Amino acid sequence: MIFLKVLSRLFWVAVGCTFLFPLYWMVTMSLKSKNEAYANPFGIPASWDWLNFGEALSKYHFYTYFQNSLIYTAGTIALTLTTGSMLAYCLSRMQWKFNSAALFYVSLGLIVPIEVVVIPLFQLIKTLHIKNSYLGLILPYSGFAIASCVLMLYAFLRSLPKELEEASCMDGANVYQTYFRIIFPIVMPALMTQCVLIFIRIWNEFPLAFIIASKDQFRPLTVGLLSYFINVGVADWGLIGASMLLSSLPMIIVYLIGNEKIENALTAGAILK
Amino acid sequence: MNKYFSTKMSLFVFAAPALLLFTVFCVYPLLPEIWMSLHDHDGFRNLGFVGLDNYREVLSMPSFWTAHRNTYLIVGISLLLGLPLSMMLSLFMDVQTPRLRRFFKTAAMFPAILSVTVVAQIWLAFYEPNWGLFNSILHSIGLSDWTHSWLTEKKTVMPSIGLSFLWQYIGLNAILFYTGIKTIPKDYYEAALLDGASFAQVCLKITIPLLQNVIKYVLILSTLGSMAFYSHVRVMTAGGPGDTSRTVIYQMYYMAFDTSQFGKGTAIAVIFILQCLFISFVIQRFVARGKLEF
Repeated sequence: MIFLKVLSRLFWVAVGCTFLFPLYWMVTMSLKSKNEAYANPFGIPASWDWLNFGEALSKYHFYTYFQNSLIYTAGTIALTLTTGSMLAYCLSRMQWKFNSAALFYVSLGLIVPIEVVVIPLFQLIKTLHIKNSYLGLILPYSGFAIASCVLMLYAFLRSLPKELEEASCMDGANVYQTYFRIIFPIVMPALMTQCVLIFIRIWNEFPLAFIIASKDQFRPLTVGLLSYFINVGVADWGLIGASMLLSSLPMIIVYLIGNEKIENALTAGAILK
Repeated sequence: MNKYFSTKMSLFVFAAPALLLFTVFCVYPLLPEIWMSLHDHDGFRNLGFVGLDNYREVLSMPSFWTAHRNTYLIVGISLLLGLPLSMMLSLFMDVQTPRLRRFFKTAAMFPAILSVTVVAQIWLAFYEPNWGLFNSILHSIGLSDWTHSWLTEKKTVMPSIGLSFLWQYIGLNAILFYTGIKTIPKDYYEAALLDGASFAQVCLKITIPLLQNVIKYVLILSTLGSMAFYSHVRVMTAGGPGDTSRTVIYQMYYMAFDTSQFGKGTAIAVIFILQCLFISFVIQRFVARGKLEF
């Protein structure tokens, strides 16, 4: 019986490790020289060779791409959370005859995947002259993130007591002061959840960025990394390993610090009733 | 208070920005999409109204049907293989010690936070024909006949790409299921165990039926996610060899951005949106009638 228990545990640890294997592979690959990468692609490196990182940092525009990813993600989060939470507040607490219609309208946004409207979005962004600017991605990303943000915050706001605003109103605060001083801090947990969700989605977004951010100086990590792979070709896997690890590092660090928060955010939609 | 708060001005300030963003970037593009699909358009100029010609031509292209077969193969893999595997993982996760479960959850969610570019490139190395992981293993256990040039042979390319996708999201789905399992009151299990039910019976008769809503949620996410399958293909094979690994979205990109036939690209998109709507409708209507909210 005990033997079986140990065996099943070992099996589980092994299954868990298959998910972590690529991390191991990225780390070891990045430390191998060009020759060793071929001779020993999956083992532990014979000697630690840090040169790949130096070379990757000089040839691969990591800082530019990293900064771009950061701008796209932060911009989308800021825009979506501000506008989305205000709309959610309006729909759940204010008197407007189109409240339920607007809620239904926004929920339609959950059905259309962003990929299917890439062609008209590309045209629209050209027409608006924002193709080679950060707004070219931030605006469409926000447009697509708003649906789930509004619906989640709407559910959250409806559960709050009306007395909060009544008290604030008695004190002579107007709706803006009430919203930003009283309501905003209270909905923070829901906003944080949305923040994590948008961060993961936008940081890793590929299909739209591939088309819109065609100029190298505006590429986020996902697209920049692909163009770098194509430049390096299949000649130097150690270098590829180093650039992959560099690109994943920010996300891995965030994940190590907040993996329970990330888990809660990712699963929030599944159990929200 | 409500009268005082809900002035025309404040309603406008609160509702307009989000509605405007949503309308302009999420809903409005559907109109030019339909309009463009009825025109001959090269991305810069509209070359005239052509009625349904784009649709006719797109439907008569063999690549269009290859792309559909590939997309639905991916949908099939992630629903018929991925979801049952995720469910099994989550059921076993439930009976583990907390520490092992913590480790397992952290590991299983890890691939889902990596970017597609990284995941696809890793699997590119695994499938490498000369020194890649799969062929090395097959050689070392004496099954050299089974080795393939996985991503350049027509028969193996799509299942190989599908496996990388499966691996990336199977753990996340398992965690979604597990979150649902945690919300089931423990008394149900105790009562069943007192009646002498086996683990398998408990899973089939209690856990899975009570998970209906979560299952539906994961089903919709996985279906729409795999319908839009594109990025892995872009990084791993760029649609090749030939057009064998193009998915519908890939074919749409190809028509518009590689051959400058925006009219045909949007025609594919319109056909595809109808499929997405139909499939979401079927899931909403026939799977777990309970209301779904996000």
